[in-house]
Amino acid sequence: MIRLEGVSRQWPEFAIKNVTLTVEEGEYLVVVGPTGAGKTLLLELLLGVHRPDEGRLLLDGKDVTNEPPEKRGIGMVYQDYLLFPHLNVEQNLAFGLRYGERAANEGQAKVSETARLLAIDHLLHRFPYTLSGGERQRVAIGRALVTEPRVLLLDEPLSALDRNTAARLRSELKSLQRTKNLTTIHVTHDLAEARQMGDRIALIKAGELNAVGTAEDLLRRPPTLFAAHFLGAVNLFEATFEASEGRFVAGPISAVGPSPNGGGNYIMVLPDEIDLLPATAVGLNLIAGEVSELIDEGNYVRVLVRANGLADPIAVYLTRQAVRAQGLGVGCRVTADVRNALHVLRE
Amino acid sequence: MKANSCRWRRRFRLRSSSPVSGLTWLLVFVPFVAVFLLIGRYTMAGVTTLAAVSSAWLARRWRRRTNDGPLIGFSVFGALLILFIVLPILNLLFTTAPGRILATARDQTVEAALLITVSSAGVATLVSLAFGIPLGYVLARERFAGKAMVEAIVDMPVVIPHTVAGIALLFIFGRAGILGGPLHSAFGILFSDTYWGIVLAMLFVGIPFVVNQSRDGFMKVDPRMENVARSLGASRFEAFLRVTIPLTWRSLLSAAIMTWARGVSEFGSVAVIAYYPRTINTLLFEWYNFFGYEYTKPLAALLLVVALAIFATLRTVAAVTRAEHD
Repeated sequence: MIRLEGVSRQWPEFAIKNVTLTVEEGEYLVVVGPTGAGKTLLLELLLGVHRPDEGRLLLDGKDVTNEPPEKRGIGMVYQDYLLFPHLNVEQNLAFGLRYGERAANEGQAKVSETARLLAIDHLLHRFPYTLSGGERQRVAIGRALVTEPRVLLLDEPLSALDRNTAARLRSELKSLQRTKNLTTIHVTHDLAEARQMGDRIALIKAGELNAVGTAEDLLRRPPTLFAAHFLGAVNLFEATFEASEGRFVAGPISAVGPSPNGGGNYIMVLPDEIDLLPATAVGLNLIAGEVSELIDEGNYVRVLVRANGLADPIAVYLTRQAVRAQGLGVGCRVTADVRNALHVLRE
Repeated sequence: MKANSCRWRRRFRLRSSSPVSGLTWLLVFVPFVAVFLLIGRYTMAGVTTLAAVSSAWLARRWRRRTNDGPLIGFSVFGALLILFIVLPILNLLFTTAPGRILATARDQTVEAALLITVSSAGVATLVSLAFGIPLGYVLARERFAGKAMVEAIVDMPVVIPHTVAGIALLFIFGRAGILGGPLHSAFGILFSDTYWGIVLAMLFVGIPFVVNQSRDGFMKVDPRMENVARSLGASRFEAFLRVTIPLTWRSLLSAAIMTWARGVSEFGSVAVIAYYPRTINTLLFEWYNFFGYEYTKPLAALLLVVALAIFATLRTVAAVTRAEHD
């Protein structure tokens, strides 16, 4: 378990501000955020190469705020591998062995076991510059695992790899983490990677923790406008709070949500939870409109429905089969049933 | 056949660097050859002709397809500068009988002076490495207030006239100097006109090379590489020893050779602080003063050979370093 309590650090041109976050034992947390949001610096704060100005860092309940990196037992893997170029694969893997308390033969066994686990046992005598990107990253991950860290930090570990290698390593990494029950914090800018790998996702914005939650939470019910935008939400409509009804209203859409606290409020309509009904249906949150565009997205069709009172059309994701069955085309009058698709969020 | 020749041309165009035609190049050498012939230096004339013809042949091969007027002009000017360096060196080497150089090298005075020079430069190098490498590392890794000032101070020995440096050092380390006085009365350590005075002078002029080169070397090692080492359990110092040093030892070696070479060639400050025991440069200066330049020539040639040998070693190390980093 690793816990940050109000961790802040000021640099001349950047700051990490008041981050409080707990990662449970064996949890896989993915940290996402725009470039320059401070994701790597956050990892380096955890690793201990930077000390926080304020706040505490707890590792398995023990305060390690003032411990140097080598005393923390936290493994680190960077995007660009950073293998020691003057050492071969075996020596790279064994680099950290001399620092722990273990028998000599135990260390050797650990190296071979790790090499087997990561399928790099045929590369042991090669030097880093002869390896492919995927092989290098396997060695870098193995090097961190050999010392049996309590927490593994991964800084964009798959971003420098080609698609196929990254996809393969992604699932291997996940199952490796599962079998070892290793607490892992993984920084990435790849949302698909975050969704697939993270038990939870933490979103960082300009050095601050903006949102934390499961992938499902953040994608379906983003708590902030930034999270919604960053995670690629569609159908965001600015809403006003009607105190008399106790509801948020955006044109014809009306939804209940947590009471407003100043700032902007938005209603998000999940595009894959909308039903398109015949134009005759009438009721609350049954939005009458006209199909303005059909966009083939490959696996689904994005149907844009223009409705009175909404500045932007509502996007509806349908299967091809559904589009065919309803005979949808540009200009069709339809009713969008958004009753099960609403979520209210704040700026 | 045609396609094939095209490929050849393209290869040459990619590799070509000299824009000068072989003939232009050849013309640059003509006045020099003429001068040598006139003054009866036939060996030099021969060497220059050889150099001219071979380089003209290379220039012809590497010539660009398109002519570039200004660049040709620049190259001609540049070539004159290169000749200005090369000619005196070649002249000294080729017009001194090897027998005389060898005889000079066996001279007891010369031998003693050579030994003193080489060894004191070696000691100065070791001292400057011991203090310069840590400073280079700090400059490569840390940002701090006054860093630019520290870097400027490190470079100062390059711009201060060396005789001035010698005088300035004397005020500190001389018999009556601020530090030299107490050191002498308490421990009997003396710098003026001693071996250690020579070391002191050589150290002063060598510092910029050690500090700057080791700093540049350390800057090429990603600090995150050290972070990884520390995440694996190595302390910062162990990371420095096991990761940073193995990746920079060639830079450090080249820094050491450069400092040593700088020490070997130092005259101004050495002569001020410690004229005796005589270094090879002091000896050369003395011989020139008393016996004239013709007498000094073999010694000068000998020193030149030593310097060129150091230089060749340095270039080799540097080339290997570059190859490693690329």
